[in-house]
Amino acid sequence: MNEQSQWTQQVKALLDASAHDLDAATLSRLNRARQAALAQRRKAARRWFIPAGLASACALALAVAIWHGRAGAPPPAQGDVVALAANADDADVGADDDDFYADLDFYAWLDAQGQEPPG
Amino acid sequence: MVVTMPTIPVHPVEWDRASVESLAEHTLDEFLKSVERRALRMAELATLNRDEALDLVQDAMFGFVRHYAAKPAADWAPLFYRVLDSRLHDWHRRRQVRSRWLAAWLHDPQDAGIDAIAQAPDVSDPGPLLRLAGSEAARALDAALAKLPLRQRQAFLLRVWEGFDVAATAAAMRCSQGSVKTHLSRALTALRRELEDYA
Repeated sequence: MNEQSQWTQQVKALLDASAHDLDAATLSRLNRARQAALAQRRKAARRWFIPAGLASACALALAVAIWHGRAGAPPPAQGDVVALAANADDADVGADDDDFYADLDFYAWLDAQGQEPPG
Repeated sequence: MVVTMPTIPVHPVEWDRASVESLAEHTLDEFLKSVERRALRMAELATLNRDEALDLVQDAMFGFVRHYAAKPAADWAPLFYRVLDSRLHDWHRRRQVRSRWLAAWLHDPQDAGIDAIAQAPDVSDPGPLLRLAGSEAARALDAALAKLPLRQRQAFLLRVWEGFDVAATAAAMRCSQGSVKTHLSRALTALRRELEDYA
């Protein structure tokens, strides 16, 4: 161990001794200061819980409202789904039928033309 | 021969929030306990007044818990001393302003009766802690440390006493590593000169 290192070790030992030999009143004040700092941390954590709790409650309420809204209009049963699909097909067929019925006069005329001899 | 296999828990231990908070607070409490005495000594060497030193340490604890408690525990020590260093600088600035006012009043013949110098703390006073330590060498060290400029004293105490490396000391003092080396070199020279009888 060189001289510099020995010297710093002595200095460290002296400083350690001075920090170790604190009286009870000082230690008590240090303890109170530490507890106060930790209490402030707990208080700060509680301050965050309030808005976080409110946000969670709002999200829960929104989820429940959406769920109730869906529950009010029951989902279609399997048969209804098939019927709905069939109706959709019918709707397309119905469009063709409309054309057919509109052209009935034309078909009647065409038929008559085919049965009567050309005059 | 029957070999019993060690049972491995199927489910990991589940920590609820309260347990995690309690553990974090316990860790923080232990850390503050581990630094509070040295922090008090540093503050006392800067202020030469125990009450003011205790107030500064309490402020440093509050500031550290408020701003840095969420940081990884491995980084806490330099961060705590950074807060303390900041408080010590603030205290010195306030004291300088007060000293200027006191100096101005001293020149006022109406206030000639007030001896401001007598009321200011004596730099050569070893302080109550080293009186408790009771050794002449300790007293001389205390006086020599108190004579150092704040930056030199902090560099010395953090590097030599606290055992920080140069980078951590620079982080705590908010300066470059080169500055730490300069402050430390000057502090060592001054202390060796002051304490040559005890070296």
